[in-house]
Amino acid sequence: MNDDLFQPTIGSRQVLAVPPWRPSSIVYPAFFGGPLAVTVLGVLNARRLALGRNQQLAVAAAGLAAVVARLVVAGLFGGQAGARTLGTLFGLAVWGVVAATQKKAFRAYEYGDREPASLFGPGLAAVIGCGILENILIAVVVD
Amino acid sequence: MTEHAYAPALMRAHALLAADRPEEALRELAVLPESDAVSAIVFELRAAALLQLERWTEAGDAARAGLAAGGPDPDLLCQLGFAEYRLGRHETAERALLDGLAIAPEDVSLLCVYARLCLEHGQLDKARRLVDLAAAQQPDAPTVYATRVQLAHASGDDALAQRISREFVAAHPENAQAHALLGGTSAARGQVRSAYSGLRQAVANDPADRDYAKAAYEARIALHPLMLPVRPFARFGAVKTWIAAIVVIYGLRALGLYPLATVAGLAWFALCVYSWVVPPLLRRWLLRRWR
Repeated sequence: MNDDLFQPTIGSRQVLAVPPWRPSSIVYPAFFGGPLAVTVLGVLNARRLALGRNQQLAVAAAGLAAVVARLVVAGLFGGQAGARTLGTLFGLAVWGVVAATQKKAFRAYEYGDREPASLFGPGLAAVIGCGILENILIAVVVD
Repeated sequence: MTEHAYAPALMRAHALLAADRPEEALRELAVLPESDAVSAIVFELRAAALLQLERWTEAGDAARAGLAAGGPDPDLLCQLGFAEYRLGRHETAERALLDGLAIAPEDVSLLCVYARLCLEHGQLDKARRLVDLAAAQQPDAPTVYATRVQLAHASGDDALAQRISREFVAAHPENAQAHALLGGTSAARGQVRSAYSGLRQAVANDPADRDYAKAAYEARIALHPLMLPVRPFARFGAVKTWIAAIVVIYGLRALGLYPLATVAGLAWFALCVYSWVVPPLLRRWLLRRWR
Protein backbone atom coordinates (compact mmCIF):
# COMPACT_ATOMS: atom_id res chain seq x y z
CA MET A 1 0.00 0.00 0.00
CA ASN A 2 2.96 2.28 0.65
CA ASP A 3 4.96 1.14 -2.32
CA ASP A 4 5.46 4.64 -3.65
CA LEU A 5 6.11 6.05 -0.17
CA PHE A 6 9.23 3.96 0.28
CA GLN A 7 10.79 4.98 -3.02
CA PRO A 8 13.82 7.27 -2.89
CA THR A 9 12.94 10.88 -3.64
CA ILE A 10 15.79 12.80 -2.01
CA GLY A 11 18.05 14.14 -4.70
CA SER A 12 21.49 15.37 -3.92
CA ARG A 13 21.26 18.35 -1.63
CA GLN A 14 20.45 21.51 -3.46
CA VAL A 15 23.35 23.77 -2.73
CA LEU A 16 22.14 27.35 -2.76
CA ALA A 17 24.87 29.50 -4.22
CA VAL A 18 23.94 32.53 -2.11
CA PRO A 19 22.04 32.37 1.21
CA PRO A 20 18.51 33.80 0.84
CA TRP A 21 17.04 36.69 2.80
CA ARG A 22 14.31 36.15 5.36
CA PRO A 23 11.06 36.74 3.38
CA SER A 24 9.37 38.40 6.37
CA SER A 25 12.21 40.96 6.53
CA ILE A 26 11.46 42.15 2.98
CA VAL A 27 8.41 43.93 4.46
CA TYR A 28 10.69 46.81 5.52
CA PRO A 29 12.07 47.68 2.06
CA ALA A 30 8.48 47.22 0.85
CA PHE A 31 7.31 49.90 3.25
CA PHE A 32 10.11 52.38 2.74
CA GLY A 33 10.89 51.71 -0.90
CA GLY A 34 7.56 50.91 -2.52
CA PRO A 35 6.60 48.25 -5.09
CA LEU A 36 9.69 48.43 -7.31
CA ALA A 37 12.12 47.83 -4.42
CA VAL A 38 10.18 44.86 -3.05
CA THR A 39 9.79 43.37 -6.53
CA VAL A 40 13.50 43.48 -7.22
CA LEU A 41 14.32 41.96 -3.82
CA GLY A 42 11.50 39.41 -4.09
CA VAL A 43 12.59 38.11 -7.50
CA LEU A 44 16.25 37.99 -6.41
CA ASN A 45 15.26 36.09 -3.27
CA ALA A 46 13.15 33.62 -5.27
CA ARG A 47 16.27 32.92 -7.33
CA ARG A 48 18.36 32.57 -4.17
CA LEU A 49 15.83 30.06 -2.83
CA ALA A 50 16.06 28.22 -6.17
CA LEU A 51 12.28 28.52 -6.64
CA GLY A 52 10.72 27.66 -9.98
CA ARG A 53 9.93 30.03 -12.84
CA ASN A 54 6.28 30.29 -11.77
CA GLN A 55 7.06 31.70 -8.34
CA GLN A 56 9.50 34.21 -9.83
CA LEU A 57 6.93 35.23 -12.43
CA ALA A 58 4.22 35.61 -9.76
CA VAL A 59 6.35 38.14 -7.86
CA ALA A 60 7.43 39.93 -11.04
CA ALA A 61 3.84 40.12 -12.32
CA ALA A 62 2.50 41.41 -9.00
CA GLY A 63 5.30 43.98 -8.91
CA LEU A 64 4.68 45.14 -12.48
CA ALA A 65 0.95 45.45 -11.81
CA ALA A 66 1.62 47.44 -8.64
CA VAL A 67 4.04 49.84 -10.35
CA VAL A 68 1.63 50.39 -13.25
CA ALA A 69 -1.29 50.89 -10.84
CA ARG A 70 0.72 53.42 -8.89
CA LEU A 71 1.62 55.32 -12.08
CA VAL A 72 -2.01 55.28 -13.24
CA VAL A 73 -3.30 56.59 -9.91
CA ALA A 74 -0.60 59.26 -9.83
CA GLY A 75 -1.44 60.22 -13.44
CA LEU A 76 -5.18 60.37 -12.78
CA PHE A 77 -5.08 62.39 -9.62
CA GLY A 78 -1.89 64.28 -10.44
CA GLY A 79 0.32 65.70 -7.80
CA GLN A 80 2.10 64.08 -4.94
CA ALA A 81 -0.79 64.04 -2.45
CA GLY A 82 -0.82 60.62 -0.85
CA ALA A 83 1.95 59.42 -3.15
CA ARG A 84 4.00 58.19 -0.20
CA THR A 85 1.07 56.21 1.26
CA LEU A 86 0.17 54.71 -2.12
CA GLY A 87 3.75 53.55 -2.65
CA THR A 88 3.66 51.92 0.77
CA LEU A 89 0.30 50.24 0.15
CA PHE A 90 1.29 48.82 -3.24
CA GLY A 91 4.67 47.79 -1.84
CA LEU A 92 3.00 45.87 0.97
CA ALA A 93 0.65 44.18 -1.50
CA VAL A 94 3.63 42.90 -3.48
CA TRP A 95 5.32 41.82 -0.25
CA GLY A 96 2.21 39.73 0.49
CA VAL A 97 2.87 37.79 -2.72
CA VAL A 98 6.56 37.41 -1.83
CA ALA A 99 5.76 36.12 1.66
CA ALA A 100 3.08 33.72 0.39
CA THR A 101 5.32 32.18 -2.27
CA GLN A 102 8.56 32.01 -0.26
CA LYS A 103 7.59 31.16 3.34
CA LYS A 104 7.64 27.36 2.99
CA ALA A 105 10.84 27.25 0.95
CA PHE A 106 12.55 29.47 3.50
CA ARG A 107 11.46 27.29 6.42
CA ALA A 108 12.83 24.22 4.65
CA TYR A 109 16.09 26.16 4.26
CA GLU A 110 16.10 27.01 7.96
CA TYR A 111 15.61 23.35 8.88
CA GLY A 112 19.11 22.67 7.65
CA ASP A 113 20.47 24.85 10.49
CA ARG A 114 21.42 27.45 7.93
CA GLU A 115 21.40 31.20 8.50
CA PRO A 116 19.74 33.73 6.21
CA ALA A 117 21.75 36.52 4.58
CA SER A 118 21.57 40.04 6.00
CA LEU A 119 19.10 42.27 4.19
CA PHE A 120 20.39 45.48 5.73
CA GLY A 121 22.70 46.66 2.95
CA PRO A 122 20.74 45.35 -0.04
CA GLY A 123 17.48 46.55 1.56
CA LEU A 124 18.82 50.05 2.04
CA ALA A 125 20.21 50.11 -1.52
CA ALA A 126 16.87 48.93 -2.93
CA VAL A 127 14.92 51.50 -0.89
CA ILE A 128 17.10 54.39 -2.09
CA GLY A 129 17.78 53.23 -5.66
CA CYS A 130 14.33 51.93 -6.54
CA GLY A 131 12.60 54.69 -4.57
CA ILE A 132 14.37 57.38 -6.62
CA LEU A 133 13.74 55.52 -9.88
CA GLU A 134 10.05 55.11 -9.10
CA ASN A 135 9.63 58.78 -8.20
CA ILE A 136 11.35 59.81 -11.43
CA LEU A 137 8.91 57.57 -13.32
CA ILE A 138 5.97 59.19 -11.52
CA ALA A 139 7.30 62.66 -12.27
CA VAL A 140 7.66 61.76 -15.97
CA VAL A 141 4.14 60.31 -16.17
CA VAL A 142 2.44 63.11 -14.24
CA ASP A 143 4.07 65.99 -16.09
CA MET B 1 18.31 -8.14 22.68
CA THR B 2 20.27 -11.39 22.90
CA GLU B 3 21.59 -12.90 26.10
CA HIS B 4 25.07 -11.71 26.81
CA ALA B 5 27.83 -12.56 29.22
CA TYR B 6 28.49 -8.89 29.96
CA ALA B 7 24.84 -8.01 30.33
CA PRO B 8 25.35 -6.01 33.57
CA ALA B 9 27.75 -3.57 31.86
CA LEU B 10 25.36 -3.23 28.93
CA MET B 11 22.43 -2.64 31.26
CA ARG B 12 24.40 0.10 33.02
CA ALA B 13 25.26 1.74 29.69
CA HIS B 14 21.62 1.50 28.66
CA ALA B 15 20.45 3.09 31.91
CA LEU B 16 23.02 5.89 31.60
CA LEU B 17 21.79 6.63 28.08
CA ALA B 18 18.19 6.76 29.28
CA ALA B 19 19.31 9.19 32.02
CA ASP B 20 20.90 11.48 29.41
CA ARG B 21 24.46 10.73 30.53
CA PRO B 22 26.01 9.62 27.22
CA GLU B 23 29.64 10.31 28.21
CA GLU B 24 29.45 7.91 31.15
CA ALA B 25 27.72 5.35 28.93
CA LEU B 26 30.65 5.57 26.50
CA ARG B 27 33.12 5.02 29.36
CA GLU B 28 31.11 1.99 30.48
CA LEU B 29 31.25 0.54 26.95
CA ALA B 30 34.96 1.30 26.53
CA VAL B 31 36.03 -1.10 29.30
CA LEU B 32 34.31 -4.15 27.80
CA PRO B 33 36.74 -6.94 26.83
CA GLU B 34 37.65 -6.93 23.16
CA SER B 35 35.77 -10.15 22.39
CA ASP B 36 32.51 -8.58 23.57
CA ALA B 37 33.06 -5.08 22.25
CA VAL B 38 32.34 -6.15 18.68
CA SER B 39 28.75 -7.38 19.04
CA ALA B 40 25.99 -5.43 17.30
CA ILE B 41 24.25 -4.41 20.53
CA VAL B 42 27.42 -2.76 21.85
CA PHE B 43 27.79 -0.78 18.64
CA GLU B 44 24.15 0.24 18.85
CA LEU B 45 24.59 1.60 22.38
CA ARG B 46 27.80 3.35 21.38
CA ALA B 47 26.10 4.93 18.35
CA ALA B 48 23.18 6.05 20.53
CA ALA B 49 25.57 7.73 22.97
CA LEU B 50 27.51 9.42 20.17
CA LEU B 51 24.28 10.66 18.58
CA GLN B 52 23.26 12.22 21.90
CA LEU B 53 26.65 13.94 21.98
CA GLU B 54 26.11 15.11 18.38
CA ARG B 55 29.35 13.42 17.29
CA TRP B 56 27.81 12.47 13.96
CA THR B 57 30.85 11.04 12.15
CA GLU B 58 31.76 8.65 14.96
CA ALA B 59 28.09 7.72 15.45
CA GLY B 60 27.82 6.80 11.77
CA ASP B 61 31.00 4.72 12.00
CA ALA B 62 29.69 2.89 15.08
CA ALA B 63 26.37 2.11 13.38
CA ARG B 64 28.21 0.87 10.28
CA ALA B 65 30.43 -1.36 12.42
CA GLY B 66 27.32 -2.74 14.11
CA LEU B 67 25.75 -3.53 10.74
CA ALA B 68 28.95 -5.26 9.65
CA ALA B 69 28.96 -7.31 12.86
CA GLY B 70 25.30 -8.31 13.05
CA GLY B 71 23.80 -7.81 9.60
CA PRO B 72 20.86 -5.52 8.68
CA ASP B 73 19.01 -4.13 11.68
CA PRO B 74 16.35 -1.39 11.67
CA ASP B 75 17.67 0.39 14.78
CA LEU B 76 21.25 0.54 13.49
CA LEU B 77 20.02 1.65 10.06
CA CYS B 78 18.00 4.41 11.73
CA GLN B 79 21.08 5.58 13.63
CA LEU B 80 23.16 5.48 10.47
CA GLY B 81 20.47 7.36 8.55
CA PHE B 82 20.22 10.04 11.22
CA ALA B 83 24.00 10.48 11.45
CA GLU B 84 24.35 10.75 7.68
CA TYR B 85 21.44 13.19 7.57
CA ARG B 86 23.08 15.44 10.16
CA LEU B 87 26.34 15.22 8.22
CA GLY B 88 24.52 16.62 5.19
CA ARG B 89 24.82 13.41 3.15
CA HIS B 90 21.12 13.18 2.44
CA GLU B 91 21.17 10.56 -0.30
CA THR B 92 23.15 8.11 1.84
CA ALA B 93 20.82 8.88 4.73
CA GLU B 94 17.77 8.09 2.62
CA ARG B 95 19.29 4.80 1.46
CA ALA B 96 19.92 3.71 5.06
CA LEU B 97 16.43 4.74 6.18
CA LEU B 98 14.75 2.96 3.26
CA ASP B 99 16.82 -0.18 3.93
CA GLY B 100 15.56 -0.03 7.50
CA LEU B 101 11.96 0.51 6.42
CA ALA B 102 12.24 -2.47 4.07
CA ILE B 103 12.81 -4.64 7.18
CA ALA B 104 10.53 -2.74 9.57
CA PRO B 105 7.97 -0.73 7.57
CA GLU B 106 6.16 0.41 10.73
CA ASP B 107 9.20 1.52 12.76
CA VAL B 108 8.23 4.86 14.28
CA SER B 109 11.79 6.23 14.57
CA LEU B 110 12.64 5.38 10.97
CA LEU B 111 9.39 6.93 9.71
CA CYS B 112 9.95 10.13 11.69
CA VAL B 113 13.61 10.61 10.73
CA TYR B 114 12.67 10.03 7.09
CA ALA B 115 9.79 12.52 7.39
CA ARG B 116 12.20 15.11 8.83
CA LEU B 117 14.54 14.56 5.88
CA CYS B 118 11.65 15.01 3.44
CA LEU B 119 10.66 18.26 5.20
CA GLU B 120 14.08 19.71 4.60
CA HIS B 121 13.67 18.97 0.91
CA GLY B 122 10.25 20.62 0.79
CA GLN B 123 8.43 17.29 0.24
CA LEU B 124 5.59 18.12 2.60
CA ASP B 125 3.04 15.60 1.30
CA LYS B 126 5.38 12.69 1.59
CA ALA B 127 6.45 13.83 5.06
CA ARG B 128 2.80 14.04 6.12
CA ARG B 129 2.08 10.50 4.95
CA LEU B 130 5.14 9.18 6.79
CA VAL B 131 4.16 10.95 10.02
CA ASP B 132 0.59 9.68 9.70
CA LEU B 133 1.91 6.13 9.43
CA ALA B 134 4.06 6.65 12.53
CA ALA B 135 1.18 8.24 14.43
CA ALA B 136 -1.01 5.25 13.60
CA GLN B 137 1.54 3.06 15.39
CA GLN B 138 2.38 5.18 18.44
CA PRO B 139 0.40 8.40 18.60
CA ASP B 140 1.96 9.39 21.94
CA ALA B 141 5.62 8.78 21.10
CA PRO B 142 7.70 11.95 21.69
CA THR B 143 9.33 11.67 18.27
CA VAL B 144 5.87 11.54 16.63
CA TYR B 145 4.78 14.71 18.45
CA ALA B 146 8.03 16.48 17.59
CA THR B 147 7.83 15.55 13.91
CA ARG B 148 4.19 16.64 13.72
CA VAL B 149 5.17 20.05 15.15
CA GLN B 150 7.96 20.38 12.59
CA LEU B 151 5.58 19.39 9.79
CA ALA B 152 3.02 22.00 10.83
CA HIS B 153 5.76 24.65 11.10
CA ALA B 154 7.16 23.78 7.68
CA SER B 155 3.64 24.01 6.23
CA GLY B 156 3.43 27.55 7.60
CA ASP B 157 0.64 26.70 10.10
CA ASP B 158 2.03 28.26 13.29
CA ALA B 159 -1.24 27.91 15.23
CA LEU B 160 -1.40 24.17 14.57
CA ALA B 161 2.28 23.78 15.45
CA GLN B 162 1.65 25.48 18.79
CA ARG B 163 -1.43 23.33 19.46
CA ILE B 164 0.48 20.09 18.87
CA SER B 165 3.32 21.39 21.09
CA ARG B 166 0.77 21.92 23.89
CA GLU B 167 -0.45 18.33 23.48
CA PHE B 168 3.19 17.19 23.53
CA VAL B 169 3.84 19.02 26.82
CA ALA B 170 0.64 17.65 28.32
CA ALA B 171 1.57 14.08 27.37
CA HIS B 172 5.27 14.34 28.32
CA PRO B 173 5.74 17.11 30.90
CA GLU B 174 9.24 15.84 31.73
CA ASN B 175 10.41 16.08 28.11
CA ALA B 176 12.73 19.02 27.48
CA GLN B 177 12.12 18.99 23.72
CA ALA B 178 8.36 19.34 24.29
CA HIS B 179 8.87 22.56 26.27
CA ALA B 180 11.42 23.83 23.76
CA LEU B 181 8.98 23.26 20.89
CA LEU B 182 6.18 25.01 22.78
CA GLY B 183 8.54 27.91 23.41
CA GLY B 184 9.64 28.03 19.78
CA THR B 185 6.13 27.84 18.34
CA SER B 186 4.96 30.52 20.79
CA ALA B 187 7.81 32.74 19.63
CA ALA B 188 6.74 32.20 16.02
CA ARG B 189 3.31 33.55 17.01
CA GLY B 190 4.83 36.51 18.81
CA GLN B 191 3.78 35.35 22.28
CA VAL B 192 7.00 36.44 23.91
CA ARG B 193 6.12 35.51 27.50
CA SER B 194 5.07 31.92 26.87
CA ALA B 195 8.03 31.61 24.49
CA TYR B 196 10.40 32.47 27.29
CA SER B 197 8.67 30.32 29.92
CA GLY B 198 8.60 27.30 27.57
CA LEU B 199 12.28 27.59 26.73
CA ARG B 200 13.21 28.22 30.35
CA GLN B 201 11.40 25.02 31.29
CA ALA B 202 13.31 23.18 28.54
CA VAL B 203 16.60 24.41 30.03
CA ALA B 204 15.42 23.35 33.50
CA ASN B 205 14.66 19.83 32.23
CA ASP B 206 17.88 19.53 30.23
CA PRO B 207 20.47 22.00 31.55
CA ALA B 208 23.29 20.49 29.46
CA ASP B 209 21.76 21.34 26.06
CA ARG B 210 23.40 24.46 24.63
CA ASP B 211 20.77 24.92 21.91
CA TYR B 212 18.01 25.25 24.50
CA ALA B 213 20.11 27.66 26.55
CA LYS B 214 20.74 29.85 23.51
CA ALA B 215 17.08 29.77 22.42
CA ALA B 216 16.00 30.71 25.95
CA TYR B 217 18.42 33.63 25.94
CA GLU B 218 17.08 34.79 22.57
CA ALA B 219 13.54 34.57 23.94
CA ARG B 220 14.63 36.76 26.83
CA ILE B 221 15.85 39.38 24.37
CA ALA B 222 12.27 39.66 23.09
CA LEU B 223 11.24 40.60 26.65
CA HIS B 224 13.81 43.43 26.78
CA PRO B 225 12.24 46.87 27.45
CA LEU B 226 13.72 48.24 24.21
CA MET B 227 11.72 45.57 22.33
CA LEU B 228 8.43 46.79 23.80
CA PRO B 229 7.56 49.13 20.88
CA VAL B 230 7.89 46.37 18.26
CA ARG B 231 5.85 43.81 20.16
CA PRO B 232 2.64 44.46 18.16
CA PHE B 233 4.46 43.38 14.97
CA ALA B 234 5.43 40.05 16.52
CA ARG B 235 2.15 39.53 18.34
CA PHE B 236 -0.37 40.35 15.61
CA GLY B 237 1.80 40.03 12.52
CA ALA B 238 2.97 42.82 10.24
CA VAL B 239 -0.16 42.90 8.09
CA LYS B 240 -2.70 43.33 10.91
CA THR B 241 -0.55 45.96 12.63
CA TRP B 242 -0.33 47.82 9.36
CA ILE B 243 -4.06 47.75 8.74
CA ALA B 244 -4.68 49.05 12.27
CA ALA B 245 -2.20 51.91 11.74
CA ILE B 246 -3.71 52.90 8.39
CA VAL B 247 -7.23 52.82 9.87
CA VAL B 248 -6.13 55.09 12.74
CA ILE B 249 -4.21 57.59 10.57
CA TYR B 250 -6.91 57.87 7.89
CA GLY B 251 -9.67 57.77 10.49
CA LEU B 252 -8.20 60.84 12.18
CA ARG B 253 -7.88 62.53 8.81
CA ALA B 254 -11.48 61.70 7.92
CA LEU B 255 -12.60 63.25 11.19
CA GLY B 256 -10.80 66.43 10.20
CA LEU B 257 -8.17 66.10 12.91
CA TYR B 258 -5.28 66.88 10.57
CA PRO B 259 -2.65 67.73 13.20
CA LEU B 260 -3.39 64.53 15.09
CA ALA B 261 -3.31 62.51 11.86
CA THR B 262 0.08 64.02 11.02
CA VAL B 263 1.42 63.22 14.48
CA ALA B 264 0.11 59.64 14.23
CA GLY B 265 1.65 59.27 10.77
CA LEU B 266 5.03 60.55 11.92
CA ALA B 267 4.93 58.34 15.02
CA TRP B 268 4.11 55.35 12.85
CA PHE B 269 6.97 56.14 10.49
CA ALA B 270 9.35 56.44 13.45
CA LEU B 271 8.12 53.12 14.82
CA CYS B 272 8.77 51.43 11.48
CA VAL B 273 12.33 52.78 11.35
CA TYR B 274 12.79 51.71 14.97
CA SER B 275 11.53 48.19 14.29
CA TRP B 276 13.95 47.90 11.42
CA VAL B 277 17.07 49.17 13.17
CA VAL B 278 16.86 48.46 16.90
CA PRO B 279 16.04 44.71 17.19
CA PRO B 280 19.02 43.46 15.14
CA LEU B 281 21.41 45.80 16.96
CA LEU B 282 20.04 44.85 20.38
CA ARG B 283 20.20 41.16 19.52
CA ARG B 284 23.79 41.41 18.33
CA TRP B 285 24.84 43.38 21.39
CA LEU B 286 23.16 41.08 23.95
CA LEU B 287 24.29 37.87 22.24
CA ARG B 288 27.88 39.07 22.20
CA ARG B 289 27.62 39.70 25.91
CA TRP B 290 26.15 36.21 26.39
CA ARG B 291 29.03 34.51 24.61
